[in-house]
Amino acid sequence: MGRLQIKKVWVDREVESAGLTRRLLDRLAGRPVEIVDNVETVKRAIRLQSDPVGESKKNLFITTQKSFLRPCPCTPGCLGCGYWTIDLDLNCPFDCSYCILQDYLDCQPLTVAVNREQLGLELEAFFKERMAGIIRIGTGELADSLALDELTENSSFLIETFRGQDRFWLELKSKAGLSPALLQMVPANNVVLSWSLNPAAVIKSEEKGTAGLEERLMAATEAVGHGYRVGFHFDPILHYPGWHQDYERVVESIFRSIPVETISWISLGSLRFPPGLLPLARRRFPGSRIFEHELTRSSDGKYRYPRPLRQWLYKQLAGMFIEFGAEDRLYLCMESVEVWREFKEKIKRGRRKLTFPFPWQC
Amino acid sequence: MVYKIIELSDLNLEDRRFHFTLNQADRRLLHSVKEIGVVQPVIITCRQNRPVLVDGWRRVEAARASGLEELPALEMAENTDDLAVFLLAFFENYGQRSFSLAEKSMALRKFYEFRLNPVEIIERLLPLLELSPERRMLDLMLELSFLDERFLEIIHRRDWKPVTVELLLGFPPAERTWLFLVIEKLTHNQQREVIENFYSLRRKTGKSLEELAEADELSGPVSRLLRGEIAAADRLLVALKEANSPLLSGLQRKIESEVKALNLPEKIRLNYDRTLEKPTLHLSLEAGSVKELKEALQSLVMSLENQKWNRLFRLLGYEGE
Ligand code: SF4
Repeated sequence: MGRLQIKKVWVDREVESAGLTRRLLDRLAGRPVEIVDNVETVKRAIRLQSDPVGESKKNLFITTQKSFLRPCPCTPGCLGCGYWTIDLDLNCPFDCSYCILQDYLDCQPLTVAVNREQLGLELEAFFKERMAGIIRIGTGELADSLALDELTENSSFLIETFRGQDRFWLELKSKAGLSPALLQMVPANNVVLSWSLNPAAVIKSEEKGTAGLEERLMAATEAVGHGYRVGFHFDPILHYPGWHQDYERVVESIFRSIPVETISWISLGSLRFPPGLLPLARRRFPGSRIFEHELTRSSDGKYRYPRPLRQWLYKQLAGMFIEFGAEDRLYLCMESVEVWREFKEKIKRGRRKLTFPFPWQC
Repeated sequence: MVYKIIELSDLNLEDRRFHFTLNQADRRLLHSVKEIGVVQPVIITCRQNRPVLVDGWRRVEAARASGLEELPALEMAENTDDLAVFLLAFFENYGQRSFSLAEKSMALRKFYEFRLNPVEIIERLLPLLELSPERRMLDLMLELSFLDERFLEIIHRRDWKPVTVELLLGFPPAERTWLFLVIEKLTHNQQREVIENFYSLRRKTGKSLEELAEADELSGPVSRLLRGEIAAADRLLVALKEANSPLLSGLQRKIESEVKALNLPEKIRLNYDRTLEKPTLHLSLEAGSVKELKEALQSLVMSLENQKWNRLFRLLGYEGE
């Protein structure tokens, strides 16, 4: 909890006396606490500050979530990966310049849901309903899966809920270090702990508050040592002078300590963001230059690097992974069919059949 | 309020504390005032023993232009405080038309200076003005209101949006003035695109606007615009976009020249996605009969021997930095 900079805790009156609320409040002792009727009161206080996004990350709201599970919407025109998301926490204490939540969450405070038993029931029903195939489910779409884990210990709850459900793979995706709770548990075969990676210099300039590259790799190494499967996300890949060498170093450093067999997947995705983020990020990160790169508006309305450059970036990165025999772990995140097709041909060429259980690779 | 007829010359028009509208008296209003005078009373109040105008700036302007000496007025009690008077001026106009961003900023500044609680400004007035009810929006509007009135008028006339204003305010004051001189006469879209492109180029290169404008491709259209030649706007935009988007513009140029070199008959047209997201060509043929269609197809098939087609497809599917 050392890194968490929570200024104030707001508690939804409905869960004031819930057991988990009391435990969270104990762990957050010393912070001012206010009981409120709904999130609007918190949002109102946040809106009145001159940096509402920054402020939203310092106000923690304890509440319930109406429903938790939903299919990942991916983005129009892109090839989805059949992912499902669990919205257990909302918002994130870290502050990445490119984070789309800045634009998406509209003053939503750092939100922790305490009605986990309802999530348990939803998952139970989901496990029964979905009869075929392997389904990946993660908590890292509207939050960082582990950023608040020391506080909530949600990871332990989720791992226990998924244990034995072999067709359902839980992914906990993060830019934080490893939470101690995870090392006290017996790992489950269908749980993947994954880290988003970027070169150290990018982490320093664009991913404020997150664990450094070494800490993330150390966490992954420890996780593997403890028996977990791991995954990596190169997302967003950033293009800048010297990027190739920087990314090569990151890829090399993965395989220095992590055997390829323990890696379940590695995703590649290049910088992309909705137009609303542009003024916001420029204002909040005046020193960042990543938004001034050559960008184009794609059919989903998002800004991205031009397609020729994206393809080239993926090809270069794939080349780096091929050296370590990890090409069959790669997939692209939120990419068009055209880019996917080219990419797949490249990594498949002359090699064994790709076996990873994603629908598009069957 | 008390109805009275006032002498125009008595009005202290120097006192603009309640002024926040930027529309000027247009031809129709002038014409109507000349014909029938001012019928709808303006609103006034007294400050330092002189009547000051609260609402009716266009009517007063038209009356003065028409040589009227008197006009009807409704007078608010002198002891009504500035905030209450301004609330009336604001809502009197609010019901009649929507305000430009420049006017909104001026109105908000008045409320702020007349000490309306900022929380009330944010939560009550910003939504009324269709602005997001956030502190940072109020800050942006207040900053905008401090621009020279000449510039506010340009923003008013071209109906700017907050995102363009925010970019503009990202330039140092001296550069803003230079920018306004360049874009003053352009359409709103052109203004927005010039500002966006200069903003991005400036951040990317760390150069000042004047340094950027010295570049060969930009200096010509910029000097022409500074001389008032608005036809140079398109040239400037092309040059700015090329500077900000070298990969795509370079590829587009090469593609266009390959298409031209194919020398296809006029009735066969080639098109492609300018963003190059889709690496494919779209072909269209024009034919009025089977014979014409055959001819077009034959010339197309014959042209396929040409290596230029391969080069064209390689360019469309290009991947690289
Ligand atoms: S860690 Fe993820 S969720 Fe958190 S700020 Fe960064 S991008 Fe956003």
